[in-house]
Amino acid sequence: MDQNKNLSSTERIKQKSDGLRGTLAEGLKNEVTGAIADDDTALVKFHGMYMQDDRDRREERAEKKLERLYSFMVRLRVPGGFLTPEQWIAIHRVAGENSTGTIKVTTRQTIQLHGILRSRIKPTLKAFSKVHLDSIAACGDVNRNVTAAAHPMESELHEQVHAYAARISALLLPKTRAFYEIWLDEEKLTNKKDEEDPLYQDRYLPRKFKIGLVIPPNNDIDVLTNDLALIAIIENGKLKGFNFAIGGGLGATHGNAETYPRLASVLCFVPADDEKLFKAIYEVVTIQRDYGNRSDRKLARLKYTVDKYGLDWYRAELEKRVGFPLEDARPFIFTDRVDHYGWKQNHKGLWYYTPYVECGRVVDDEKVAMKTALLEVAQTGKANIRFTGTQNLILSDIKAKDKAVIQKILEKYRIIEHTEAASAIRKNAIACVALPTCGLALAEAQRYLPTLLGRIEVLLDKYELGEEQIIIRMTGCPNGCGRPYAAEIGFVGTAAGHYNMHLCGDHEGTRLNRIYKENLDEGAILKELDLLFWLYKKERITGERFGDFALRQKWYKQ
Amino acid sequence: MLTTPKLTQIQELIAGSSREELVWLSGYLAGVVAGQGQAAPGSHQALPAPVAETTPAAPTVNKITIAYGTETGNSKKLASDFAAKAKKKGINAKLIGLEQYRLGDLTKEEYFFTVISTQGDGEPPAAAKKFYDHIHQGSLKLDRLKYGVLALGDTSYPLFCKAGEDVDHQLNKAGGQRIVPLEKCDTDYDSQAGKWFDTVLQQLSSTAGAGAPAATAPAVTARPTGKKTYTGTVLANINLNDRGSSKKTHHLEIAAEGVDYLPGDALGLVPENPAATVEAILSLTGVDPSRKLTIRQEEATIGHLLRKRLNIVYLPERVVKKYAAIVQQDIPETRIGLLDLLKIYPVRDAAQFHEVISILEPTAPRLYSISSSPEAHSGEIHLTVTRDRFSVNGETKHGLCSDLLSQLSPDEPLDFYIHKNSQFRLPAADKDVIMIGPGTGIAPFRSFLAHRDSQGASGRNWLFFGDQHFTTDFLYQTDLQNWMQTGVLTRLNTAFSRDQEEKVYVQHKMRREAAELYRWLEGGAYVYVCGTKEPMSVDVEATLLEIIREEGKKTPTQAEAWLDELKEAGRYVKDVY
Repeated sequence: MDQNKNLSSTERIKQKSDGLRGTLAEGLKNEVTGAIADDDTALVKFHGMYMQDDRDRREERAEKKLERLYSFMVRLRVPGGFLTPEQWIAIHRVAGENSTGTIKVTTRQTIQLHGILRSRIKPTLKAFSKVHLDSIAACGDVNRNVTAAAHPMESELHEQVHAYAARISALLLPKTRAFYEIWLDEEKLTNKKDEEDPLYQDRYLPRKFKIGLVIPPNNDIDVLTNDLALIAIIENGKLKGFNFAIGGGLGATHGNAETYPRLASVLCFVPADDEKLFKAIYEVVTIQRDYGNRSDRKLARLKYTVDKYGLDWYRAELEKRVGFPLEDARPFIFTDRVDHYGWKQNHKGLWYYTPYVECGRVVDDEKVAMKTALLEVAQTGKANIRFTGTQNLILSDIKAKDKAVIQKILEKYRIIEHTEAASAIRKNAIACVALPTCGLALAEAQRYLPTLLGRIEVLLDKYELGEEQIIIRMTGCPNGCGRPYAAEIGFVGTAAGHYNMHLCGDHEGTRLNRIYKENLDEGAILKELDLLFWLYKKERITGERFGDFALRQKWYKQ
Repeated sequence: MLTTPKLTQIQELIAGSSREELVWLSGYLAGVVAGQGQAAPGSHQALPAPVAETTPAAPTVNKITIAYGTETGNSKKLASDFAAKAKKKGINAKLIGLEQYRLGDLTKEEYFFTVISTQGDGEPPAAAKKFYDHIHQGSLKLDRLKYGVLALGDTSYPLFCKAGEDVDHQLNKAGGQRIVPLEKCDTDYDSQAGKWFDTVLQQLSSTAGAGAPAATAPAVTARPTGKKTYTGTVLANINLNDRGSSKKTHHLEIAAEGVDYLPGDALGLVPENPAATVEAILSLTGVDPSRKLTIRQEEATIGHLLRKRLNIVYLPERVVKKYAAIVQQDIPETRIGLLDLLKIYPVRDAAQFHEVISILEPTAPRLYSISSSPEAHSGEIHLTVTRDRFSVNGETKHGLCSDLLSQLSPDEPLDFYIHKNSQFRLPAADKDVIMIGPGTGIAPFRSFLAHRDSQGASGRNWLFFGDQHFTTDFLYQTDLQNWMQTGVLTRLNTAFSRDQEEKVYVQHKMRREAAELYRWLEGGAYVYVCGTKEPMSVDVEATLLEIIREEGKKTPTQAEAWLDELKEAGRYVKDVY
């Protein structure tokens, strides 16, 4: 642990934060700025928020002698992405009153609201609390929102697997009461021992930590991009346990060769025995806590720890800590990575409708009144809301007798028409938030991808490839929130209007793509794709996916 | 300073007196002190008989009264200078504000000099209103009185130095003898006023005892030359309010070299009339815009007069009355624009229109507090202008001047003059300053802070600012943040009224900081208030009194007296509108 001699500044902020409190409470009273103190910007993440500012407005506001338009993004903790209709209604109201109004469905099965002024944070979080929602640990160096296979039609065991998401989230939740004190005005602890945290201690993890649960063969949540991927092993209709794969993570930094995206490596199998399973999950985290890099945050994710010490070492260390022998991983296969659009039925006969939500943005716009439609659905009280890993949502668990009511609302707002009209590439696409709120963005993403997709559709139609389920993802920076490295065509922003184009990833999410060409503008992107699609149409083997074809053609930078 | 029994006697006397009696007493004591001349204060002399009750023996000019009527402190400052000069000449000059002047004393005065300014539409300063009304009563007989009036005003206003003229006229009418001609000063009054003092002092020494009038009729003073006008160039014009705000507050930066001003001063502007209105008037009357006329001793073309000099937008009733006389029609006495007047009650011909021009009054200037510091923003003057909006017959109109200013583009020229505000001045560099300036009331305080910053003043600074919304209406936010960071601004409290359900204003923030605020006051801090008179300055004053009462454990009367003391000491100053 020699690299931890020079602790990063964030490490110091965490340690002296008094249980993630810092000066957040005092900062809320500051009458001079709408921002919070520098050190607190690191701490507020642990409470599920990022301080951001509207980058489109910086120049104009500076001229007006106004500070940047600071606001906060609040991300909820919704393990497995499941909300009751009451919760959805509450979110809808809060979004209208305190944020930009858009409800953004994320790539990790939760929602986030943008543009919340500092003075509106407390009312927002209090409103969430009333419907038993919180944003604790939705960001920060802790275990983030746990994702799980989204669609209940995946398996008869879906409910059983899905339930682990909430339990793992609870297991790895920080013990500090800071969130309740600062944002919900709950009484201060008299005895600090009540929040002693044997897992996170006072230093938390070196970096964020992500866990996902998947039910093969559909890799719908991109499970291998997690620090800890739990792959359900079902044999003879019974959940036997989970394969553990570790070290997934997509963040990288332009020009820093030490950083790279990585998919999780299969480590071992752990049976579905609560005691063993939770112990093993817990100890995977403690090893990263103890061995992860705390001096360079760019090299602090579990993937670097795994590569530094090796898989065998990690397994041995885990075995030592859990106190029982670990079994070898069992065979599994991924054959797809899709959301099931439209009406579907699960084994219990309940109905599910998945609409197409462009870039996960639930909003009423000129295309469709998605937000109003979803509110009306929620108000019937007859459908739960589930989120997918592809920024979509599923109107869920609808009884057969209630299906017509929901159908009527969907027809009224032309949601069905809207969903059916969306092309295959749109339904598989992901874009991160990027400009104007994300401080990391180098280029546009969610504001631009729909336009680019329209132009790509023209090319695909030209070669009669419109039905191909090609996975296209775009991010405004190399940090990987929109998982662009796990796409068949990935666009990673490098500068305004320019993207690195990545190819050769597979459709199932088990093989990362590689850089094909760098710094392309739209004209160059379309010119390249025109040629690539022509070749794909002409020379593909029947049924060959675009990503696999690209690899066979060696379409990557040598 | 006083021995204990003496102090006790005085305290007993004070405790048993009403407020009015105390006010009288303070004036009385001032008179006593003045009567003692150069005697060292506190020296044991027999008290002279009360001045007010004295019937002076043979008239000797070693005792004069200098009374001032002031709104912004300019008259007071001049009167004080005058008193100092007189004292140097061995004349006992009793200096008193007209608001404190005992009106009954006027009949007993022998040498009485007044320095008085004129406000807005020919009004006297509020502080001189009682005196002004008193001398307008018909029965007043002032046979013994020898007097002189120094009038301050602004030639840009239609009724230039009207209050001074009235005082001069009324004193004369009541039998007073004018020993120096009425002097009417424009905004740059220093040298003119100095000369007038000298004339008065000369008069007093050469005519000692005689009291011969120097002039029997008010001299027609030549057009005053005491107004320095400047032409600046607009450097920048920025709407400080962000998108989504219901307000438009323009920050103007004007390049102008060699402009003589101090923090606290205002900039005066005479707005041009809208070109379209002038065009319409010209085509309606058919007059030649290049034809020259002489108005108020100034020759100018009709076009120039209509565009730049004369008020044609809303004529006051007195002008409408004169218009009615010219066109010989019955016109209801109402405020109306010249164009409408010409449409409804046309003039006979060009010649009659020339006559109409001669009755028009100059366009009144608009004053804007300067928000820059001559030291910090060398060669520049900054203004903070709200674009006025008001409704006339349900139609939204904009203020003529604020509209013009808010639409100025860089490189456009702008004519202006400096309007001094002598009472609204920063104290010594080591004194603490509390500034309460919501909305555009922040303008002089930006000037104050920039000035104190560039001077490296050691005194602490505390600003209370307020507006509607934090994100869109926080005027000069980044400037203030910088001053917080560098320590120039010790404290900054803000109140944004519409960011929450209940309205929060600056006075609420003052209340919340009551203990600290009172500590500053006790420590000698100066308090400045700038912004709207009502309700802001009224609420702020009530809150100040409340804080003084509660934190200082005082009765309401004591608190008021305490605040009055601050006022007297120049430590509680308002510039409200």
